[in-house]
Amino acid sequence: MRIRIAVDIGGTFTDGLAMLAPAGRIWVAKTLTTPRDPGKAVTTVITDLLKQVSAAGRGTKPAVTEVVHGTTLVANTLIERKGARTGLVVTRGTRDVLTIAREIRYELYDLDLEIPKPLVPVEWRIEADERHDASGGVVTPLTDAECARVAEAVGSLGVEAVAICLLHAYVNDAHERKIAAVLRKRFPGLAISTSSGIAREIREYERMSTTTANAYVQPLMAEYLERLDARVHAQAPGAPLRIMVSSGGFTSATAAAETPILLLESGPAGGVLSALNTARNAGLDRMLAFDMGGTTAKACVAVGGEPLVAHSFECARVSRFARGSGLPILIPSIDLIEIGAGGGSIAHVNELGLLNVGPESAGADPGPACYGQGGARATVTDADLVLGYLNADSFLGGEMKLRQDLALSVLQALAAPMKLDATQVAWGICDIVNENMASAARIHIAEKGHDPRGFTLVATGGAGPVHAVEVARKLQIPRVLATIAAGAGSCLGLLAAPARVDRAWSNPALVKDMDWGRVAKVYEELRADAQEELASAGAAAVGLQWWIGAEMRYAGQGHNVSVSLPWCKVTAATERALLREFERRYRQLYGHLVPNAAPQVVTWRLTGRSRVKNHSFAWGDARVSARPVLRGRRQIWLPLKRRYAPVAVYDRYSLKPGTRISGPVVLEERESTLVVPLRAEVRVLADYTVSVTIGEG
Amino acid sequence: MKKTRLDPITLEIQWKRLVSMVDEASAAFVRTSFSVLVREANDFAVVLTDAQGRSIAQSGLSIPSFIGTLPATVKHFLEVFPAQTLKSGDVMITNDPWMGTGHIHDVNVAMPIFHKGRLVAFAAVVSHMPDIGGRIRNAGIREIFEEGLQIPRLKLIRAGKPDQGVFDMIARNVRVPEQTLGDIWAQVAACKMLEERLRPLLRDTDLDALGTEIRRRSEAAMRKSIRAVPDGVYRARTQHDGFEEPILINCAVTVKGDRIAIDYAGSSPQVPRAVNVVPIYCFAYSAFAVKALLNPDVPNNEGSFLPITTSAPLGSIFNPRYPAASGGRGMIGHMMVPAIMMALADVLPGRAIAEGSSNSSITIAGEHKGRPYAAISFMNAGQGATRHRDGFTMLSFPSNLANTPIEVFEQMAPVRVIERAIRRGSGGAGKQRGGDGLRFEIEVATDSPMTASMIMTRFRTAPQGILGGAPGAVGGLWLNGKPINPAEHWVLGKGDRVVMETAGGGGCGKPA
Repeated sequence: MRIRIAVDIGGTFTDGLAMLAPAGRIWVAKTLTTPRDPGKAVTTVITDLLKQVSAAGRGTKPAVTEVVHGTTLVANTLIERKGARTGLVVTRGTRDVLTIAREIRYELYDLDLEIPKPLVPVEWRIEADERHDASGGVVTPLTDAECARVAEAVGSLGVEAVAICLLHAYVNDAHERKIAAVLRKRFPGLAISTSSGIAREIREYERMSTTTANAYVQPLMAEYLERLDARVHAQAPGAPLRIMVSSGGFTSATAAAETPILLLESGPAGGVLSALNTARNAGLDRMLAFDMGGTTAKACVAVGGEPLVAHSFECARVSRFARGSGLPILIPSIDLIEIGAGGGSIAHVNELGLLNVGPESAGADPGPACYGQGGARATVTDADLVLGYLNADSFLGGEMKLRQDLALSVLQALAAPMKLDATQVAWGICDIVNENMASAARIHIAEKGHDPRGFTLVATGGAGPVHAVEVARKLQIPRVLATIAAGAGSCLGLLAAPARVDRAWSNPALVKDMDWGRVAKVYEELRADAQEELASAGAAAVGLQWWIGAEMRYAGQGHNVSVSLPWCKVTAATERALLREFERRYRQLYGHLVPNAAPQVVTWRLTGRSRVKNHSFAWGDARVSARPVLRGRRQIWLPLKRRYAPVAVYDRYSLKPGTRISGPVVLEERESTLVVPLRAEVRVLADYTVSVTIGEG
Repeated sequence: MKKTRLDPITLEIQWKRLVSMVDEASAAFVRTSFSVLVREANDFAVVLTDAQGRSIAQSGLSIPSFIGTLPATVKHFLEVFPAQTLKSGDVMITNDPWMGTGHIHDVNVAMPIFHKGRLVAFAAVVSHMPDIGGRIRNAGIREIFEEGLQIPRLKLIRAGKPDQGVFDMIARNVRVPEQTLGDIWAQVAACKMLEERLRPLLRDTDLDALGTEIRRRSEAAMRKSIRAVPDGVYRARTQHDGFEEPILINCAVTVKGDRIAIDYAGSSPQVPRAVNVVPIYCFAYSAFAVKALLNPDVPNNEGSFLPITTSAPLGSIFNPRYPAASGGRGMIGHMMVPAIMMALADVLPGRAIAEGSSNSSITIAGEHKGRPYAAISFMNAGQGATRHRDGFTMLSFPSNLANTPIEVFEQMAPVRVIERAIRRGSGGAGKQRGGDGLRFEIEVATDSPMTASMIMTRFRTAPQGILGGAPGAVGGLWLNGKPINPAEHWVLGKGDRVVMETAGGGGCGKPA
């Protein structure tokens, strides 16, 4: 028995999933995250999975071929500011750039904005006498004496990590490399990040922010990954450790330790890949991935089987998920939105006397009132319980009993001043949180230039399937898919992910003036380097897919259009293919071209990855029965009828492919519940995905 | 039409849906706009009004300049094109500063929305155009005629049929017609999208009842906040550096019960420069100050602004006569916000902010190696302290304009940015210190002449502190070490160095 294992560390839970290769049978494990030593929960989960698999194989010990890992550790380190003592080396005159940032307010009416603190205080920033111009020419040479002086200054800081970010290093990295080499020789233990190595893109503040963030998390992540590798080796000898990155692929543990900032959004990326895999199996072209957990919901548009990848991202936002309140990070990451809406989101009455939900969350502690851990304010989970959507006795497989009485009492308290009853408020909370998520998704879809009505929504996450059908109805999306093991959705995505490498190079130039020889040379270098990394991540050299990408615009515009071409040897003839693709994309986005304008390339990109395979998963233990197992009937709130009605509740594990049921209906599984509170056609697809076609609304 | 039950839940959901529709249309608009100011600085607004032009929902991102302007514009359109004459598919347009937003660079369009043959709403969009012809925006302009094309209240599209004459007229008067017309079409598309999104809601919602309730609640919340401020007349006086002489800003804030009236009598008369503030813009920035101080979280709509009025005598810089120029209205307009805050400092000691400075900027242009170039960088300044925090260092306020990255600036034009640094110690002393300004130094790196024009704010008049706090340092401008006059255009040569310093914010409370 050969298995692959995926482990995802989230804020509250660490999820694990084992898949029997190649058949696709899966086993799931879940344990509380262990923040002091995150690797401990990983060990627990792997042990649990090995036990389950070997029990299923009547004691045969499975051979683990690979462990794929995703984690929120990088994000948490940045949010909690618990990284290394980090220094920063910059060009003379730019020491304050990290503090100055872009000088704008992310919220117009808030007079007391909280501005995110830079990761490196100004006393630990060192200016070097050196300078390149915008085309990479040397203006002020970097002398050996200056290098020595900078090294001396770095030495006196007593830092564990150093970021080097010099002006125009995206086009000429010579000075950064020279300083890095001197520092490396002089301080062998020091973690060093260069901006040209981490994010070779124009805009000094954003690049500096990215480079310092990488340096800041690197010592911790390097140590963590090394220990994790040893742990995995002890449990599964010979199984290589792969690390999921934000762009929707995995890389080797060694590469991840070099550029840990790439791991920032690995968990959410896993969720999207899982949804994509499900959509591809169902033959769908246009998908909205929807994930809802305890504190946040996420949504992501994917068209043509590929997720959109954005090249800038923001982490550690200090204010209520507000755009602009975080640290900008220039890494490729799956383009998704995050909304302050989850099971723990708290309801309250605002200054206008209206009911509001979130973004404040009760988190895991004290959690919703119905957890019985002292939560005194009504949350979405409390509302879901009172509406009959959740089963008080079988939450997390019955490990956690939910208290209906406590939920009712906090809802009652909230309802009284509005002269409403507990049920009205429960439905109000649910409806408002759904509206919040639908609104955010609607705007996200509009920003990408699509219409939601042609989409299918694919739900993952613990609370995702509870709310998905109503969110879809509000968006006029006609169909919802709930993946197998939706509660461990990210792990499915980790297993479905390809190996992937991204590289970038900013060198703004008009297409008509392009030095194609130089571009070709840079691409050869980037590809050789990327190939090496892919090989280290276990991807065979044959069957790799490569793309050339470019961020383009008409000269003078402030906004880029991402263009992508299948790999070809770059020559002057590439110009035509590139322009054709640029104009196609431009028309698609804006409906028209700009006459007499000059197309420009700002940043070149390279993506390489192993082929994406469709994975068809099945329950690991033979749970499916000849007929659906009816657990009973329960009163649930039907929003369109505006009343409670008894509906059938099925054990989801018992439903075999081909099963057809009519909504309204509830399907329960250990980590999640699919709620269909309206007329709908419910079918189980070949890969155990449940498909809901909405029949009213 | 079904009767809407407007309990606190239904109302919240329907209101949110309206705001979401407006935001969806504005996302589509930003994506298709050519204007860098729209994309990078949210210099636009999308609004849904009722049939009488009263606003129900406004896009969330717009800058303060647009508070209350589009609804007023719709009402102005109704004066020329009465409701009964409007047809489905009509689109109206204007950039008249007095009817629109205070300068001709913003073009306003509005489109009536009908339901079952009855006019029920207007979708309206205003945005800063990539170009409107005329001279390049400059404070030295003396009359509106120099500023570019004036579009009176016209029908751009009649019952779905574009008026080609209007389009041709605009195209002939701007530098890059594809971009300006492209943005106008994007405005029209956003109006249509808003209409389409509103359709399903109209089927089962009484928009009038919904609008009335939204306004009622917002108005009540604003009135309640105003009632908490003690009655009285609160005054502040500040001044802009001006040109030949300083420009006085004199404001009297009268709080009476649940109303606030702000009067600018005693301010300087209008000037033959492009810095005049027409009444609609005067209202927008005054209302912004009041809302940010008293009631920041209520979504923008007509109700929140009903209790606020502004006034200034005709001929004042805050109520200029045609043909006053107003392209740089922000230079004076932005100072109304700190003036109102200073006036209320003693009665709202926990909220009020000491004076800061709005942005300065440098624009450089010329030809390098046979190619024309032009680049602009905004420079923000220190902001004032409050009783419970220091002032922000180099933050854009009350507008919201980002700096240009050094690397982008150097890509666009043959210059080197020698330094972009915090001007430490420039913030005023106090229990809480004012925020620091900026030191920005550039060197010319081309053999051909480079023209440079600098807008300096708080160059002579320091931002004042409150409750005993000290003023911030004034800004400064030097060419090769010598102070120079920002009102002139400068032609620079290779190796010339320009240093610009922006002001520090005022402190709060006597320094320890």
